[in-house]
Amino acid sequence: MIYDKPLFRTLADTALNIEFGDEVSIPLNFKILALDSAIAAHPPKGLLETNPQVRSLGIVYNPLVTTRGNLIAALGELIGALDNTATVASRRMIIPALYDDPWSRECAAAFGVRNNMEYIAEFNDMTPRQVIETHTACDYWVTGVGFVPGAFMSYAMDPGKRIGAPLYRTPRTWTPARLLNFGGTTSTIYPLRVPGGGQLFGRTPLNIFEPGQNNAVFHDSPVLAKAGDRHRYVAISRDQYNDIRAQVEAGTYDYQITEGLFDCADYIAWLESLGEPADHRDPDSSWSLE
Amino acid sequence: MLEIISGGLHTTVQDMGRQGGQSLGIPPSGAQDGFALRIANLLVGNAGGGPLVIRNDAGAAGLEITMAGLKVRAQSDLLVAITGADMRATCDGKPAPRWQAFVLRGGQNLAFGMAASGARAYLAVHGGVDVPLYLGSRATHVRGNFGGFKGRVLADGDILPIGPATAKGAALAGRRLRPELTPAYSGKQRIRVVRGPEAHLFKPESETKFYAAPWRLNPKSDRTGMRFIGPELSFRPGRPRYLIEQAGKDPSNIVIDPGAPVGTIQVPSGVEPIVLGVDAPTIGGYARIGIVISTDMSIIGQLQPLQYACFVRTSHDDAVAALKRQEKLISELSVIAL
Repeated sequence: MIYDKPLFRTLADTALNIEFGDEVSIPLNFKILALDSAIAAHPPKGLLETNPQVRSLGIVYNPLVTTRGNLIAALGELIGALDNTATVASRRMIIPALYDDPWSRECAAAFGVRNNMEYIAEFNDMTPRQVIETHTACDYWVTGVGFVPGAFMSYAMDPGKRIGAPLYRTPRTWTPARLLNFGGTTSTIYPLRVPGGGQLFGRTPLNIFEPGQNNAVFHDSPVLAKAGDRHRYVAISRDQYNDIRAQVEAGTYDYQITEGLFDCADYIAWLESLGEPADHRDPDSSWSLE
Repeated sequence: MLEIISGGLHTTVQDMGRQGGQSLGIPPSGAQDGFALRIANLLVGNAGGGPLVIRNDAGAAGLEITMAGLKVRAQSDLLVAITGADMRATCDGKPAPRWQAFVLRGGQNLAFGMAASGARAYLAVHGGVDVPLYLGSRATHVRGNFGGFKGRVLADGDILPIGPATAKGAALAGRRLRPELTPAYSGKQRIRVVRGPEAHLFKPESETKFYAAPWRLNPKSDRTGMRFIGPELSFRPGRPRYLIEQAGKDPSNIVIDPGAPVGTIQVPSGVEPIVLGVDAPTIGGYARIGIVISTDMSIIGQLQPLQYACFVRTSHDDAVAALKRQEKLISELSVIAL
């Protein structure tokens, strides 16, 4: 559900979450990105970092410089002054991917589970072919960047094409870099060899994290994705994968990115025309709020 | 210069970590026991840096030595201090002091054995380990392959550059921490926790169990996550249908969210609570039962594999008070000069 008022959650002595709801909702994410912009324009005293995510904004602050109470009051004023967000800055990026790749299969086998693509297909009542068709059929909205350096969370912008699968019950201790995976309806890519619990289904030849910042696209930051980006996946062959990977390793690949503004109001109106509920309240549950 | 004769089990260059990485997925890294590294730097006259995550500056870089085995040789006279875990360090075969600045002569070897108590020792060198800054810090993030010395764990034969000595350097030998301030790492440790945003999703009796049970550090723990072996915890029924659709059936799955601070405790499927370490993910998808207060991450960083610990619930105000007390301690008032 989307809460009537954002909740301030205490995370011990140096952090807060400002939680706008408990669900995956792109319109909810627009509010978080708007608040993040407002904070960047008028940073409250003692606030050190923000971390915009799908349903909440993470705040890191210095309690030796401010108090939790003063910080919450300052943030409350910024929230009160937020306009209905009409547009947000949003880049559109093409991400080529080799689906149902050998590395995902090998990794699943190494941890004693079956090919995750088969599980994803079964979980969504689809064939693996349909999973690929669905994943490449609409843009994905990046709600936030995180987990490990450069990883991001994204969600299908067309609710009719939103597929996914539950995280592993026990996370793996390693996963090869650049594997596409689902955690719930979150679609993301592991930028590095890392532990993780996502269901694996493909591999991109692109670097989404480049610590050496060799390619021009990484000039300002070693991280490719930004909250508010739109990603479009394109299925490629093994030969195309090898070709693009060679260019990426040489630092010469031309990342396909278009800068732009995204019309939030138009998108929300389109969702409403689909009869997509803006808020998933469940009258039988008092589970999420305390 | 400091020559690495043997890198040991897992030794990295660390300072007090990076800031500004939360929105990029970049963890702070830095010393897992910030108290010990900052005291070591204080003793040798280096900038100590501020508290982890909220530091104003990263301070000088030193070495974090995990469990055992580092052996180094000074290529010229260096003022050094060893703090943290007791690894029975020896200087050319003779016991080296802990929590005290001393001169390691050019050509002398400093060798660390197995940790008798604690898990991480820190070696500070006057002038600091002078590796390049990456995103504002010299801390190594091994999984990301950046920061520190070539983004990796130290290996035999590495030569570490040391920053220039100041005029006062030699006069600092013999400075030591007041003995009553030396932390004790043996025995069952108490780790203070502020209640987390999803604590109410656990059954009340499970939350009670979390604070009552003895836990043991899983040997698979590292700077990414410290896992604790103990009783299974269970979750309240009544999970809404939209959350099952969006985050999965397992009641410990939540819609992914900033786990922002180091110290966040997640409990995947109710089994083996994981405390996020300094190299941990910046967000998480599992229910957070609590958050370890910032000062007690030093205590967690010194737990040995299978050592006992308990979680003690505390308030936000007490957590801030503990941080303020720690910041007072990390000062010249805590140093005995010769």
